[in-house]
Amino acid sequence: MIASAHSADKKVFEISRMSNEVKELHSAFVDKRGRLMRLKKESYIESEMKKKGIEISLNPPIKIKVKSQEQ
Amino acid sequence: MFVFAIAVLFKLCSIQFIDGDKYRAMAQKRSIKAFEIPANRGNVYSADGSLLATSIPKYDVGIDAVTSSDNNFKKYIKPLCDSLAVFTGKSSGSIERKIKKARNTKDQYLLLLRNLSYSEFIRIRSFPLFKLGSIRGGFVYSQKTKREHPLGSIAERSIGYERIDENGYATRVGIDGAFGKDYLRGENGRRLKQRIGKGEWKPIRDANEIEPKNGYDIYTTIDVNIQDIAHHSLLGQLEKYEAEHGCVVVMDVKTGEIKAIANLGRNREGKYYERLNYAVGESHEPGSTFKVMAMMVALEDKVIDTSTVIDTKNGRKMFYGRPINDSGAGHGKISAAKTLEVSSNIGLATIVDDNYSKQPEKFLKRLRDWRLDKELGVSIIGEGEPVIPKPGDKIWSRNALPSMAYGYNMQLTPLQTLAFYNAIANKGELIKPRFLRAVKEFDRNIEVFEKEVLVDKICSDETLLKIKDILKNIVERGTGERLYSKTFSMAGKTGTARADYANIEEWLKDRKYVSSFAGYFPADKPKYSCIVVIHKPSTKVGYYGADVSGPVFKRIAQKIYTDTPLIDEIDSVEFQNPQVVQDFEKFNTISNTYKTIMPNLIGIPAMDAVAFLENMEVKVKVKLKGSGVIKSQSISKDKKLKFNQTIVLEAS
Repeated sequence: MIASAHSADKKVFEISRMSNEVKELHSAFVDKRGRLMRLKKESYIESEMKKKGIEISLNPPIKIKVKSQEQ
Repeated sequence: MFVFAIAVLFKLCSIQFIDGDKYRAMAQKRSIKAFEIPANRGNVYSADGSLLATSIPKYDVGIDAVTSSDNNFKKYIKPLCDSLAVFTGKSSGSIERKIKKARNTKDQYLLLLRNLSYSEFIRIRSFPLFKLGSIRGGFVYSQKTKREHPLGSIAERSIGYERIDENGYATRVGIDGAFGKDYLRGENGRRLKQRIGKGEWKPIRDANEIEPKNGYDIYTTIDVNIQDIAHHSLLGQLEKYEAEHGCVVVMDVKTGEIKAIANLGRNREGKYYERLNYAVGESHEPGSTFKVMAMMVALEDKVIDTSTVIDTKNGRKMFYGRPINDSGAGHGKISAAKTLEVSSNIGLATIVDDNYSKQPEKFLKRLRDWRLDKELGVSIIGEGEPVIPKPGDKIWSRNALPSMAYGYNMQLTPLQTLAFYNAIANKGELIKPRFLRAVKEFDRNIEVFEKEVLVDKICSDETLLKIKDILKNIVERGTGERLYSKTFSMAGKTGTARADYANIEEWLKDRKYVSSFAGYFPADKPKYSCIVVIHKPSTKVGYYGADVSGPVFKRIAQKIYTDTPLIDEIDSVEFQNPQVVQDFEKFNTISNTYKTIMPNLIGIPAMDAVAFLENMEVKVKVKLKGSGVIKSQSISKDKKLKFNQTIVLEAS
């Protein structure tokens, strides 16, 4: 009875430690994801590339679709 | 002695039996407590799955200045303050003074930093002294859950938040606010726990008394890329024109999904940030963008045609004792279509006054049929009310109708105007602008939102065709001419309306305008509709709708144009050359048969010959003279090859 009560207590401490860890990891995830999203933004890339003298193209890329002859 | 014993016994019984329940309850109260288990609030996502709002832990960090030993304190206080100085940008000395003062006054909790993100928190935790932990180093922190927008200020007002103060009064902003109660919030659970040491509590039963229900996730229609461009080009124009505030909304023509919505206002320091949801909440006199509606009423009623000649005089015409002016020297006699292209106030006022002054109800009924007098009923709380006056209203007079013809004496929100332009682009179908795609619990759809049609068809195809033609011409040769681009097409209407003009003398001293541009692109097969409204640009820099708001519209149109690859179809470049086929087969036969003996390489291209020999199972050295086709080989055909043997090949 006493032993199992103690083991339950132990588990409670373990759970609280782990749920803290989950919180921390979630926080780290959002932090990194937010940074990634900011880095991915076109306006950010545009301003970074301006330093190198590269600007946004006024024309869209051209996609070449090759039609096979055996049709 | 005996009496004393009786007294003790009596008290014992009274505690046990008479007050027993009370004390037992008290004991239980101290060691058993009902804990609220907070439900996790759902996330808000963009259309492509980027996180727009989520709840994350934030940290406040402080120091217990008393707990660390004199030795450690002396040794680490300086490096700690240096590290903190680098982190905060404050001076190391002032931090050190603060901490030393706290130590002298025996302060067990001196707050140093607030609202740290996890990675910042980890960094602080590794600073000198703090590294030693809470007891030896005095590192104290508390954690709280905060709503975070990972994209920062972008679309902050439209993504929004829900805040409930201690009196239970809720402030609800944007999508997060509007859908908080129904979807995001979830339900808190409850669990009874018993105190066990170390400040921890142990659950009494296996299951929770009430299970918490986590909030659902919300998927919005916002496209992060378009939003980003919209936000930054609006910001750029606001800064350039030193305007008070502005907004831009991009809507998907066919579905009514809002792809981007940016609202920026200026604060006292002159910086712009997402201040209020102007696009949804601010109804104002639309000015010239409303001329399109006025023209469409007249076209639909067939009281005029696009070629009807309208006399716009010399830029000034009296209507019931009040002059209406056009900018510039006037346009004279022009076609009805042209009045819209050059945005003639007199032109539109004349068309509407000539045909509807005797029957204003006919004009107003069309506007009502197009639902311009009603709110759209969008999900974001606080939609501005449109104002369309009617006879009998306080703001109604004989001048009301000609004023309305060019967008004065009435009010619309930017979103309401946009919804109407979207209907023009969408073959006359008026759709409700929509911010939400779906509500989900992990991958399971809880609710999916479909497009909501408000009016099936606002007018005949004939009228649509005419007005679309005019809108296209406005950009090609009218007031929007400066926006014209050779590479991609746009259609739309500029607007330059006076603002705060009630006191005309004041206004003349400090002219205030609302510059707008509403339209859609590409002109022929519209994909997106868009409105840009900028309030009170500095007239020293410029104030015309085409100059102030137009570039934002153009930038978005250009972005979407350059993001869609042009597709060029060409016929296959592959063809079967018999010579190549034959060579290829020969190559295969040689490399498959000759593994240890010399093949006949004469007549074979040098490159292939070298490749054969290098791929032999016996390692040999190859010396090649010349390039082209092999003429001779130093080892004759069918001879067994030896390890490290040198073969000389001569090629033409």
